[in-house]
Amino acid sequence: MTPYWPWWAGAVGLAVLTIGYTLATDRSFGVSGAWERVLHWRREAELERREAEFADEQALVAALDAATVEHFGTAPVASAPVASALAAPVSAGPAAAPATDGRRPLAPPRPAPLVTQAVLLVSIFVGGLVAAVTSGRFHIRFDMGAGYRHLVTGNPVAMVALLFAGGVLVGFGTRLAGGCSSGHGLNGCGRLSPVSLVATATFFGTAVAVSFLLWKVI
Amino acid sequence: MRSRGVVLLANLLTGLALGFTVTSIGFGDYAELNRMFTFQDLRMFLSFFGAVVIIASVFALLRVRRGAGRLHAGVVPGAVLFGIGWAISGGCPAIPIIQVASGYLPAVVTIAGIVVGVRLCRWAGGRRLLRVDRGSCEG
Repeated sequence: MTPYWPWWAGAVGLAVLTIGYTLATDRSFGVSGAWERVLHWRREAELERREAEFADEQALVAALDAATVEHFGTAPVASAPVASALAAPVSAGPAAAPATDGRRPLAPPRPAPLVTQAVLLVSIFVGGLVAAVTSGRFHIRFDMGAGYRHLVTGNPVAMVALLFAGGVLVGFGTRLAGGCSSGHGLNGCGRLSPVSLVATATFFGTAVAVSFLLWKVI
Repeated sequence: MRSRGVVLLANLLTGLALGFTVTSIGFGDYAELNRMFTFQDLRMFLSFFGAVVIIASVFALLRVRRGAGRLHAGVVPGAVLFGIGWAISGGCPAIPIIQVASGYLPAVVTIAGIVVGVRLCRWAGGRRLLRVDRGSCEG
């Protein structure tokens, strides 16, 4: 069994994958967000379908605009901008010109397509499996290891109950806080986002307190 | 806007890298995790915060846009619940997946808990039982 990676290798690995994801997708990386979308698959798929229809409508409007220009030789301009352009002083002419070039405002960043988020969760499993097998650490077992037995419980029923309760807290808490150790911790703290710095300090601090309780008291 | 194929490939490669890296660091090992949270062993702690320092430095150099997240009322209570859950189950949302991949079968129960928790959060937000936040639960 090969030992775990030294700290610097882990730091470089986590940094490279977060930076690579950000540059490749122009989106924020986060695992709890992927869970959220995959677990609400039906509603998210419906939203995606509507967005696609809306994009089609926008394309149709743009095509009609272009056809109108071709036919009449003038761009269709909505009445309100015309009124405001007429009301504007003549000296503002050059500065006001870009507003009438027909460009639409930038759309807000859209979430990654649903299927890509499902792929993310599945590939985490595959990556973990490859690491466990190649390091000689893969071993089918019905407990969570000696550490869990000593620190938390050796009783299988209590173990199942605590794992389930812990999972519910993780799922509920990360969605309430808007992110987890990847979304707030790696990505958000990397962007120096105040909300992520507060969230990371809070969940890390709480986990430290509970872990000391488990280690020293319980 | 990136093409769908690029985003798909990026998610595939990032997922593989994340699963491989967190397993190789030892985040799936409950004993290692407890040693990190009780500061008996700073190796995993330094991995995580070393990564944050590298990411922040590179993002600053490349002028990646800073996070514009709103500090809403759900952040601190949510993070407290997550911290408790992480300490007692050993799982943040990616970890039970790699625990199962390493052969720890009971981590399937943790995943079931996460499924219930994530759905419960949106359900409670949708029914307006939770008034602390609109941004994340109902998202």
